[in-house]
Amino acid sequence: MSLNISFKLNGEAVEVAVEASTLLIDLVREKLGLTGTKAGCREGECGACTVLVDGKAYSSCLMPAIKVQGREVTTIEGLRKPDGSLHPLQEAFMDAGAAQCGFCTPGMIMNAAALLSNNPNPDEHEIRKALSGVLCRCTGYRKIVEAVKAAAAANQS
Amino acid sequence: MSDKHDDKRKVQVLVKEKTDFLPFIKFKEAELTVAGQSLNRTDDPLKVTGKLRFGADYSQEGFLHGKILRSPHPHALIKAIDTTKAEALEGVAAVLTAKDVRGRNGFGAIIPDQPVICSDKVRFIGDGVALVAAETEKIAHEALALIEVDYEPLPAVFDPRDAMKEDAPKIHEGGNLLSYDKLRKGDVDKGFERADVILERTYEVPFLEHAYMEPDVAMAIPQRDGTMLVEGPMQAPFTVRRNVAPVVGLPINKVRCRQIHMGGGFGGKEDSPIDLGCRAAVLAQHTGMPVRMALEREEVTIQTAKRHPMIMEVRIGAMKDGTLVAFQGVIYDEQGAYASLGPKIPPAGGSHVHSMVMMAGPYVIPNVKVDAYLCYTNHPYGGAMRGFGAPQVHIAHEQIMDELAAELGISPVEIRRKNAFQLGSETATGQVLDQSVGLRETLEACAKAFEWDRRFSETGYIDKERSKRRGVGVGMGWYRTSIGTGGDACGANVYVHEDGSVLLYTGITEMGQGAFTVLPQICAEELGVRLEDVRLVQPDTDLVPESGPTVGSRSTTLMGNAIIQAARQVKQSLTEAAAEILGVAPEQVEFRDRKVFDRDNPFSSVEFSKVAGRCMATGRRLVGQGWWTPPAASLDPETGQGNPYFVYTYSTHMAQVAVDVETGEVEVEYYVAAFDVGKAINPRALEGQIEGGVAMGLGYALMEEVVIREGVIQNTNLQNYLIPTTLDVPDINPIILEMPNQFGPYGAKGIGEMPNIPATPAILNAICNACGGRVRSLPADPEKVFWAIREAGGAPNK
Repeated sequence: MSLNISFKLNGEAVEVAVEASTLLIDLVREKLGLTGTKAGCREGECGACTVLVDGKAYSSCLMPAIKVQGREVTTIEGLRKPDGSLHPLQEAFMDAGAAQCGFCTPGMIMNAAALLSNNPNPDEHEIRKALSGVLCRCTGYRKIVEAVKAAAAANQS
Repeated sequence: MSDKHDDKRKVQVLVKEKTDFLPFIKFKEAELTVAGQSLNRTDDPLKVTGKLRFGADYSQEGFLHGKILRSPHPHALIKAIDTTKAEALEGVAAVLTAKDVRGRNGFGAIIPDQPVICSDKVRFIGDGVALVAAETEKIAHEALALIEVDYEPLPAVFDPRDAMKEDAPKIHEGGNLLSYDKLRKGDVDKGFERADVILERTYEVPFLEHAYMEPDVAMAIPQRDGTMLVEGPMQAPFTVRRNVAPVVGLPINKVRCRQIHMGGGFGGKEDSPIDLGCRAAVLAQHTGMPVRMALEREEVTIQTAKRHPMIMEVRIGAMKDGTLVAFQGVIYDEQGAYASLGPKIPPAGGSHVHSMVMMAGPYVIPNVKVDAYLCYTNHPYGGAMRGFGAPQVHIAHEQIMDELAAELGISPVEIRRKNAFQLGSETATGQVLDQSVGLRETLEACAKAFEWDRRFSETGYIDKERSKRRGVGVGMGWYRTSIGTGGDACGANVYVHEDGSVLLYTGITEMGQGAFTVLPQICAEELGVRLEDVRLVQPDTDLVPESGPTVGSRSTTLMGNAIIQAARQVKQSLTEAAAEILGVAPEQVEFRDRKVFDRDNPFSSVEFSKVAGRCMATGRRLVGQGWWTPPAASLDPETGQGNPYFVYTYSTHMAQVAVDVETGEVEVEYYVAAFDVGKAINPRALEGQIEGGVAMGLGYALMEEVVIREGVIQNTNLQNYLIPTTLDVPDINPIILEMPNQFGPYGAKGIGEMPNIPATPAILNAICNACGGRVRSLPADPEKVFWAIREAGGAPNK
């Protein structure tokens, strides 16, 4: 059964027909063409598909698309400063060397963005806890944690 | 940490005359300005914005979706297959069985022993018995369910020792023993006679999953001119091409493999793109349509290569003072259903031979004997995984070194200090290490930064309840740069354009290790331009010279040299043109920071772009091709003696753990790892390799295991195949030492695999130091640690 839903995606109003069974990840990636959100396991374990729904981090592979009706969805493509330039997290990930293969990077950055919006000055343990749902096989996480610290510091200044 | 980069030392390099040796490149002596710098990765801007497209992100419009029907049995005969119902399903374009494969029905990285589609029998649960192409993935899945296969299950074998028995079920025509290799140095019996202490231990390691974050995908697109284009993430595009061509019955020049940015490989994407590429190409050939074959996570686990499991029997003999006198090892190396990268490519290629060569560790031992058996079983197959047979044997030699030290009453660091390789040492294969041997230096640097002496003396209970004990452990290691075969060459093309911009063509693929930054850094350094002036072209077998696979920690060193040669060829023209413009002799010309200078007069210079423009205007060559082959490898098949790999990277790791002696839970609290890398071309990217490698080694030690029952994998997704998270991995402190490699670009050696290798035994040794329990069969999960403590008679009192 097809349903029409309307929501805000990266700041813009979207109206789209979805099936009741359509997952948010497939809506975003396939129907709306935003492939920055990655599918690593499709069972909510790897976190590569994390998007923000009303500012909170969710695994889009576990969320039915109809759930975002009337809500605000942000993907990695929509993450930026109000002036359109890169978000401090994106800058910090580059400067810290926090991306290796880059497959988990969007999920890491979206989780970190949710963390920093609630807790602008997290300590190391809070960062590690917030990112523990995103798996990275390349980095050993050290430079990712460093990048989040640096972005938090940049936000403060 | 503070002493991260200032702990650099140089050793005097002893150079033995070599006759079997190709032109040795004289490297720049002047200060490097691009190489050696921690520059940001070239692909970062795309990665942090989500704009970088991986294989699964490419448009699927116009593609058929390919799916594989896999066997439910680990070993069975195929009596009949009925595809009529599946073919009748609307939206199905093709249902193929073995008879539909027009060319060679087999693929494999070394031996083509794995059928593209099985005809008469299946050998593991990942075997494909039919292929489907349909308009959507959903229809393809439905079609798979409609294919009826009549199997006759056969007795299966799941242990390499059972596989060697005479009455074992035969998996392949040629028998189950795929390879038997031996190493003989000195007289091991006499060695043991001399020994004051002899220890014998057995260590076991399970199958491991690469768990690269990006599931595999391949696309086969038939071209108008009759060529077959295969796209996807590939560590070895040339090996994929070498397999796809005979499978679709085309010459090599009519198959084109084009690389897509890779979301992690770790050796796993050396094999799997061959599998998917061949199968997608067969479907594309049959339908005349582009076919996309994407694996789901569960399929990746079931179908693709793993790290080889091994049973390792070790006997070691030493004098009272800790001097090693004899080492004997037997390796039962489980290959699984297909040969993949296990068997030998003479003289020293293949993971099995590599395990044998490395087994006695980075120690001087006059008498060594190793017997290594590689056997087919009905399990998934072992392939390359970050260390290629070396992580397993390090787990054996590094643990028995600690067990020996305990027996002798000397410290784990002292026994390594006594026996570790140094300049001029002879390895178990009789190779004299004549240059770039920084192993002892890594031990001292690591011990100093870790404060080994203090931490070693402060072990014991750390809480009032006496439930947690702290311990420290050390692991040492070595790893080759290169693959030990004749076909270990790298080619590179460098094109300079009239505006000074540069195109760099290589066959080395980016998988997160940083090749797309490090290789252009080397090119920019040689030409005296900036990193952003060099655009590296994605490997495409139609465009780039054959470069071999992106494996063996070989890319920076071997390809770096090829790039330098290519750049220098172009520089001949540039030098001539610049000399004309500056009015000086060609040898006076120097390239730096987008300018060409008169060496003696820094005020006299011309823009690099102007020089390039003049070359163009005067018809000078602006294309260079480099080709570099490492010194020849050798290994006697009877004695295992020779020079299998031309240079090695060395490393020492130290870990501090806390063990809950009531639950067996382990937390890694602190970690230092020191490496002799020759030369760090991009120190920050290199640290990334170290930190990620250690994390992977931690997973091997504490949690990772592909659980298989009667040939069926029980943990096919990341929910129950656990890999380390942010909460499992401590802050890892890397130390980089540079003992220049005479044969590497600016002295560089390989680093990709080394960091993962000593991490596992360092942690296992720390666990034993903490609680007295020695886990000899991995992983050291809470249950195994708990029982190891019991076996040791309970946790120590003090």
